Amino acid sequence: MAADMPTTFLGWVMFIINQYGTALLQGAGVTLLLALFGTLIGCIIGLFVGIVQTIPVTDRTNSGFKFLNKIIQFIFAAYVEIFRGTPMIVQAMVVYYGSMAVFNIDMSAMVAGFLVVSVNTGAYMAETVRGGIISVDKGQTEAAMAIGMNHIQTMYTVVLPQALRNIMPQIGNNLIINIKDTSVLNVISVTELYFVSKSAAGVYYRYFEVFFVTCVIYFIMTFTASRILRYIEHRMAGSADYQLVNDPMADPTGIFPNNSNQGGKQ
Amino acid sequence: MNTTKNTPILSVRHLVKCFGQREILKDIDFSIDHGNVISIIGASGSGKSTMLRCINLLETPTSGEIIFEGKNILDISNNIPLYRTKVGMVFQSFNLFSNMSVLQNCMVSPVTVLKHPKKEARQTAMQYLEKVGMAQYINARPDQLSGGQKQRVAIARALAIKPQILLFDEPTSALDPQMVGEVLSVMSDLANEGLTMIIVTHEMAFARDVSNRVIYMADGVIVEDGTPQDIFGNPQNKKTQEFLARFTKNI
Repeated sequence: MAADMPTTFLGWVMFIINQYGTALLQGAGVTLLLALFGTLIGCIIGLFVGIVQTIPVTDRTNSGFKFLNKIIQFIFAAYVEIFRGTPMIVQAMVVYYGSMAVFNIDMSAMVAGFLVVSVNTGAYMAETVRGGIISVDKGQTEAAMAIGMNHIQTMYTVVLPQALRNIMPQIGNNLIINIKDTSVLNVISVTELYFVSKSAAGVYYRYFEVFFVTCVIYFIMTFTASRILRYIEHRMAGSADYQLVNDPMADPTGIFPNNSNQGGKQ
Repeated sequence: MNTTKNTPILSVRHLVKCFGQREILKDIDFSIDHGNVISIIGASGSGKSTMLRCINLLETPTSGEIIFEGKNILDISNNIPLYRTKVGMVFQSFNLFSNMSVLQNCMVSPVTVLKHPKKEARQTAMQYLEKVGMAQYINARPDQLSGGQKQRVAIARALAIKPQILLFDEPTSALDPQMVGEVLSVMSDLANEGLTMIIVTHEMAFARDVSNRVIYMADGVIVEDGTPQDIFGNPQNKKTQEFLARFTKNI
């Protein structure tokens, strides 16, 4: 066996790729799956919590609603503080082993992993969404209210689209952090990229070579995610041009102005 | 209350607004008849804008009554969003929705609030955009327009819900002199067509020429209330005389 073992660094790298390439890619797949769905569900949780946390309470609000609102606000604040204030690696242990010990639920490591990533991301996103909503100019809300919109209509048509656009960079941040930080789930034996790498490295005791490959795979994933998110941000900003419409009344659908000049920057 | 044919469209009774301990509006009392154009003038900090914002409840009055269509809209049971569709507002800082095109800005309220069909809402929006001279720009986004253009779109947006009264909160204060002209000419047209308007303004010539009533406010009270001829030609109160002395020199 010793005769055909590689002797150089590059030789080892090629050897590792040959032997464990498929396993490492499968691990990367699990990592991406956890990061993407964890971020998505986390965003949905965060959006919900953030929106509820910014419900306005005025003198005109009835007292029953005020009381209910207070309780919900307390629960959400506690959720944010607890999950933001403890390490994800510890949360993974508590959820995975605790669900069995306390609730007698036999959760697979993968399910526990999804749960931890989503709930953790949700806590961070709640704060981000709250910040995004606050950052939208108060005049926008006032204008929406002045043309008769209620709170829900104002949020849905005016505030949230703008808030979402403002927090896109932060959503991207969360996705990239999740791609990397799902590696902590190896402590509950989720077969993501780090777990696979560690197993592979242990076979031949080639830690440096294996983790060099792992490092490259992580970087390819995060860099691709970051470029895609930048592209989406760019698309959301809209085009810099607009078209002047010479005879607007002639086309009642308004989608294809029949006769147009270019306006704006070319 | 006046119960003749000329019942006021909107009455403000004993309106008081406090921010903390500070009393910004002290016992404001006035009413506006259908088709009237009232200009509210006064120094900055005299409570003009606060009063306007109280009228469509962007600020909640501390006490008093606002009577519209015979009902006190401050009663807790009243549907405030519905009331606001009848009392439009144009802001100093335009406040066009930056996530929508010009056309969408003018269609969003008729479609989402009044539940008008899209086609009808579009026709109405186009009609008002045509009126303010912005029909060519329906595809533009607000940040691609000049200040005067934005304000004209904002006026079209307010008109698209067909309000019975339109409130203007210093609509030209953020504009340069040339843009002020284009916005004021739109407002003059609306006044001539008989739209009921309450205008908080620093444009004294406009207040004198376009409105049929002028209210001068100082320190949270209405100091003088009369025709433009009376207020500008023959002010009775000493405060009004002092305030207008600066402007009459320039006119």
